[in-house]
Amino acid sequence: MPTQEGFNHFDLMLWLAGLGVTLSVFLISSVFGCLLGTLMAIGRYYQVAVIGPLLFAIGEVLRNSPVIVQLFLVYFGIPMFFGIRITQFDAAILVLTANTAAFMSVVGLSALESVDREQVLTARSFALDEMDILRRILAPQALIVALPLTIGVLVNQAQVTSLISVIGVADLTRVGHILNQKTFEPFIVWPVIGATYLVISLAISALGKHLQKRVKMSGPLANQKETFAFD
Amino acid sequence: MSFLSDIGPFIPALWDGFLTTAAVSAASILGSFVVGTALAVVATYGGRIAAMAATIYIEAFRNISFLVLIFFFYFGLPELGIFISAFWTGVLVLSLAVGAYVADAISAGLTNVQGGVKDAATAFGLTTAQRIRLLELPLALRVSLRPLGSLFVNLILTTSILSTITLNELTNAAKIIASTTFRPFEVYFLLLILYSILTYLCSVIVHRMHVRANRFLAT
Repeated sequence: MPTQEGFNHFDLMLWLAGLGVTLSVFLISSVFGCLLGTLMAIGRYYQVAVIGPLLFAIGEVLRNSPVIVQLFLVYFGIPMFFGIRITQFDAAILVLTANTAAFMSVVGLSALESVDREQVLTARSFALDEMDILRRILAPQALIVALPLTIGVLVNQAQVTSLISVIGVADLTRVGHILNQKTFEPFIVWPVIGATYLVISLAISALGKHLQKRVKMSGPLANQKETFAFD
Repeated sequence: MSFLSDIGPFIPALWDGFLTTAAVSAASILGSFVVGTALAVVATYGGRIAAMAATIYIEAFRNISFLVLIFFFYFGLPELGIFISAFWTGVLVLSLAVGAYVADAISAGLTNVQGGVKDAATAFGLTTAQRIRLLELPLALRVSLRPLGSLFVNLILTTSILSTITLNELTNAAKIIASTTFRPFEVYFLLLILYSILTYLCSVIVHRMHVRANRFLAT
């Protein structure tokens, strides 16, 4: 008896749709997460009273608890507790943005602290205002330290996006689940989905390496390239 | 205090979930350590082809999301006629996946061991296997302990994903409680705090071990 098993061209559309959702959630949460994380790092670097320690505490809880629980808390908890309606997509964006921000704040802080404090003091004695110090002295040097760490965080976050399928967002993993239940072909479905994630991660890494090369060539370490002739 | 009276009857269920999380974490930490050490030794001493195979393994498992891996094994193994429980599927996949990260951490430690150690071991007539087991791995672990600690903290957090394959651990227990009491916000907030405490304890233990392992290296 013929059944609905097997793949057809609609499955390819489904895969593309899932890929689109995964990529858009990743891009939106990464952009806002990086911005927010940088602001958090600056807040902690300047040791702003009350806000600094508060940001630290929030960041620690976000980094030390499972993303699944955070998703459940936002998607099931907030509507029940505060009476606000929240869509699955919004909950996913909110949690992943906060999560990326928590990791990026650590990256940003360590990058800012890698710049010698003497430089900041010197700049202040030359009467540069704080905005200028941040923009012209701290940021360019911190960027070089932050870039490889940021790529690491983003590669990780790209995989974390798969968790949003648990609250019902139709991302790549959800599509995999649907196709798996439709076709009963786990050895075709999951390797394809896995390979898609692999390609996304490798693309982010490659882009990061390219950026790193460009930043290094224009940065203060430009003439410190591989010149160890006797190594 | 109505929340406390609501949640009171569920504390045994929460405790059971905690014990399952602890058991799956402990077994997977052990498993990933074994997998990672084996991979690191193969990658460092096994020659070019073995090293390449290890690199492919590590890159694949690091760049594919854990949820996809767990579904692959959970739905795939029965197709091959292998029927194991969600618990052991979880332990297996966690060991394989976290093992890839552990291998990186231990490889970094192994390449850090000074060449003089090898020469001294050879002079004392130790075989290569003895040298690796008795000298190089213990020395590498000193350096690798701290990165391993953060990997294992991450492993504990990742066990929550096993709730998607019906393992009744802490997150799944909380899910049931949240849907019974209609207090998802409070329940998941409590869970957030519980996980934070658990991972904090883990990092404290690893820090103690790190200090103890390096106690002869006065700085």
